[in-house]
Amino acid sequence: METFRIKNLTFTYPEKSRPALCDVNLDINIGEMVVLCGQSGSGKTTLLRNMKPLIAPHGKLEGLIEFYGTDVNELSQEVQASRIGYVLQNPDAQIVTDKVWHELAFGLESLGMDTKTIRLRVAEMASFFGIQGWFHKDVNELSGGQKQLLNLASVMAMQPDVLILDEPTSQLDPIAAGDFLTTVGKINRELGTTVIITEHRLEDVLPMADRAVVMDGGRIIADDTPANVGAILAKKKHPMFMAMPSPLQAYAILFNEGMGKELECPVDVRTGRNWLTKLMAGRTPSVTELKADEESLPKDPETGKTPEPSIEMKDVWFRYSRNDSDVIKDLSLSVYPGEIFCIVGGNGTGKTTAMSLAAGLRKAYRGRVKVKGRTAMLPQNPQILFTEDTVREELKDGMGTMATSDFLDVERLMDSHPYDLSGGEQQRVALAKILQTEPDILLLDEPTKGLDNELKQKLAGILDELKKEGVTILMVSHDVEFCGRYGDRCAMFFDGKIITTNAPRTFFSGNSFYTTAVNRMSRHIFGNAVNVDDLVELIRANE
Amino acid sequence: MRNTFATYHPIIEFGFFCVVIGIGMFMIHPVFLAIGASAAFIFAILTGGRGSLKFTLCFLLPMIILITVINPLVNHQGATILFHMRYSYVTAEAAIYGLLMGMMLAAIMLWFSSYNKVMTSDKFTYLFGRIMPSISLIFTMVMRFIPNYKIQIKRIADAQKAAGGGREAETLKEKIHSGIKIISIMFTWALENSIDSADSMRSRGYGLKNRSRFSIYRFDRRDGMAALFLAVMTIIVLAGCISGACHAEYFPEIAFAKATALQTASYIAFACICYFPVFIEVKEVLVWKHLESKI
Amino acid sequence: MSEHYLLISILIALLALVPFFVKFERRNVQARELVLLAVLIATAVAGRAAFFMLPNFKPILAIVIIAGVALGSESGFLVGAMAAFVSNFLFGQGPWTPFQMVAMGVCGFLAGLLFHRYYAKADSFSGRKKLPLLIFGAAAVFILYGGIVDIWTILAMTPHPTMATVIMVYGAAVYMNVIHAGATVIFLLLLGGPMLRKLNRVQIKYGMNEKRCIDNM
Repeated sequence: METFRIKNLTFTYPEKSRPALCDVNLDINIGEMVVLCGQSGSGKTTLLRNMKPLIAPHGKLEGLIEFYGTDVNELSQEVQASRIGYVLQNPDAQIVTDKVWHELAFGLESLGMDTKTIRLRVAEMASFFGIQGWFHKDVNELSGGQKQLLNLASVMAMQPDVLILDEPTSQLDPIAAGDFLTTVGKINRELGTTVIITEHRLEDVLPMADRAVVMDGGRIIADDTPANVGAILAKKKHPMFMAMPSPLQAYAILFNEGMGKELECPVDVRTGRNWLTKLMAGRTPSVTELKADEESLPKDPETGKTPEPSIEMKDVWFRYSRNDSDVIKDLSLSVYPGEIFCIVGGNGTGKTTAMSLAAGLRKAYRGRVKVKGRTAMLPQNPQILFTEDTVREELKDGMGTMATSDFLDVERLMDSHPYDLSGGEQQRVALAKILQTEPDILLLDEPTKGLDNELKQKLAGILDELKKEGVTILMVSHDVEFCGRYGDRCAMFFDGKIITTNAPRTFFSGNSFYTTAVNRMSRHIFGNAVNVDDLVELIRANE
Repeated sequence: MRNTFATYHPIIEFGFFCVVIGIGMFMIHPVFLAIGASAAFIFAILTGGRGSLKFTLCFLLPMIILITVINPLVNHQGATILFHMRYSYVTAEAAIYGLLMGMMLAAIMLWFSSYNKVMTSDKFTYLFGRIMPSISLIFTMVMRFIPNYKIQIKRIADAQKAAGGGREAETLKEKIHSGIKIISIMFTWALENSIDSADSMRSRGYGLKNRSRFSIYRFDRRDGMAALFLAVMTIIVLAGCISGACHAEYFPEIAFAKATALQTASYIAFACICYFPVFIEVKEVLVWKHLESKI
Repeated sequence: MSEHYLLISILIALLALVPFFVKFERRNVQARELVLLAVLIATAVAGRAAFFMLPNFKPILAIVIIAGVALGSESGFLVGAMAAFVSNFLFGQGPWTPFQMVAMGVCGFLAGLLFHRYYAKADSFSGRKKLPLLIFGAAAVFILYGGIVDIWTILAMTPHPTMATVIMVYGAAVYMNVIHAGATVIFLLLLGGPMLRKLNRVQIKYGMNEKRCIDNM
């Protein structure tokens, strides 16, 4: 028997002519872990929500969704609440009470359980998730990762048969995201709970999954093991292919060229490494390195000289108040017009603070900060820039002067409410809004957070246009894959200062842990492959 | 601050404050006020430390003086005229009564300052969750939202400042407009996020019938003993108050009820109630001294 | 009994809250409405953080009034009373808490009673139609809020309130009340339109627009 059985499901939102889901057929077996992937707007969330009518959107539903043989719409609210667990995207908004213990018990209270049972369930969950240490804490003292774990634990306390997770890690940093997914894997393996999860970053989750289902335009276009799905997407040349883990991408590209056909498809760094070793077995590679990119500073096309830096920091020290400890310690950095400068590094190292110094929000107490030109900053959550009821009003100040509006692709969004837009659209509108001031320097805080692969490429295109116009771009990010591909120079931030700065290829091949997946899987053979293209190029060169 | 009283069951704590504040307001009587104010002061120092001392000296003392001065100026009852002013006069009774009122207020303020330390939001939710489930849930949510909103306001203010090239609002008009803008952005964000909160509640079965209430508080033997003790003492005090054994009159002349056994019993009982938190704190310290000396 | 005015008035204030709270509890409120009320209360209390540059500018009463206008008298009372309670929870409870709860509750209640229908449409709070609410806002601060809250001050000052005490206390409060009223009017003027529109939007977008009328109060 299946946990869910979806038959010919079509769903149309009110006042929309095109259905959001179109003839979807899907079986989810008991105890399975299924990854649902697809670009923004492909209907993933609509599908997931329809599996739990308590939180399903309004609209016209045709077809059937069965949960253990019963139509979900005929399930009582109790059954839906207790047996179908659902974790949403935003860690903060899902928590309703102010104490950890109370949040854990919230669902059990709804089911009317007595104190003794709740006490046992809550204790079990706290132990399983390792949250005994913060059981009595205020929710507000927790980090984003802890909050999302709390949401998961609170749902799991109701002992559901199936756990549905809608992009649960999109708001977390990579380390917290990894922890979270490990816990989800543990739930699936140790408790046998069926898991259905959607994710943009597939590198961590795909290796754990039994099955991957790919959606596009409300239809299922692939439904197979992760490895086979990669091959299917590669064959179709589908854009979703670019979202697959890098080892899988490299395998599929070469497979279609007839290389390594006898080998098993890799899904993570470990299997990718083995695949590469086998592929190169018996051959001594003649070319092991690509041409190293010099740390090239942008040059003025006429004079050929490097221009003056637009942001220059020299021996800068900063702390929030006199009695705090230093957040920025002896930081020096120069960023030049016409380059994309990426700062990577762990949480709490002071990256974002460094950027707020450049933006003039904080003042250093020692050292020199020189900023040449007008700055504009795109906050992590672009929503906090929106004041108006439509995008048009939001952008009315400088529409005429903005030569950049077409590549931002906001024209068709003009009459929408900013909050009705998707994350990527909101970000572009926010960019359009801050570009109205025609800044010379653009500061970006985690610009790829929550964006899928296609949107990341779109963002890269926008940044490239701005770069060509001579805008200085300084970004802070956890996304090493993005920085490795599109940055001009990358810097590692640690303990309040920059440890090294280099062009991406040199930078990431110099790091052994904080680097791209391709680099980690290929470093035993190739010197400086950073992204899939590099790796494929190197393998071809040795053919 | 260490606070043993705060480890008791919320119902004991809430009951205690109701009794000491209620009787403290009801009994304008020098002995009661002396007991109440001294106990309130010591307990406030125990829970609040230096802050409570500062609060007493800088705010409560001037307040007592102010009320002592104002009361005879507006209240001309009383037989003993102290002195005449241009159109009016001041009586000794009114001055003394003013002093007692001031002390009563000071005692209540001190009790409240301890109350604020002891009765945390989760205890409050626990107490009223049973009789007012929806309102106490709203209260819990509000307590969760407020710190969030404050952080968000800070982020928005930063983003606005960064958008303005790091310039701060200067004139009154600019400051008002900047504040309005920040609130307006924050409110939109909060409303949109609230939809997720509601979905997460529905998803976890909120709104089903027979919702139960879970708490981490347990009414144990110690709480039972405390409840019994405080209840008996309260009955004695109430008996003293209602029977008139502790009666005090200020106008036209100051007069107290005759000393009786019940009167003395009421004084002692009231002291037992008021000093209860101080007493258990001292006991706790002694127990630990003893335990540690054995190691 | 004259020396017990203070205690009695506090008990009366607490009793005044009971019927509203009981009514609310009986009305099986849905999750979305509960969250919406919590958002309004939290915004009213946390809102002052946005005016860190102007410490005397407290938007709490303006937001309570807006809540009453948008959601009706019953919810207006609840938002007002709870906002006062929570605000005191953060800044210190005192014997004045019940008075403030009643005062703010009544402001929200009357705002709902008088204006819930008048501003029923999303864009109706504009131009000259703003005036009635602004006048109400100023009066609410001065007469309702200032009047009720200072009962506590008067009774705390002296157990036998005379005309002189009353005039003295209210006279001393005039300055603060003028600032408070001015701030409230400015808030209503600038924030009223946007907030009512936003509330209207979420109510429509998420199907909460079955506006309850004052009739079934």
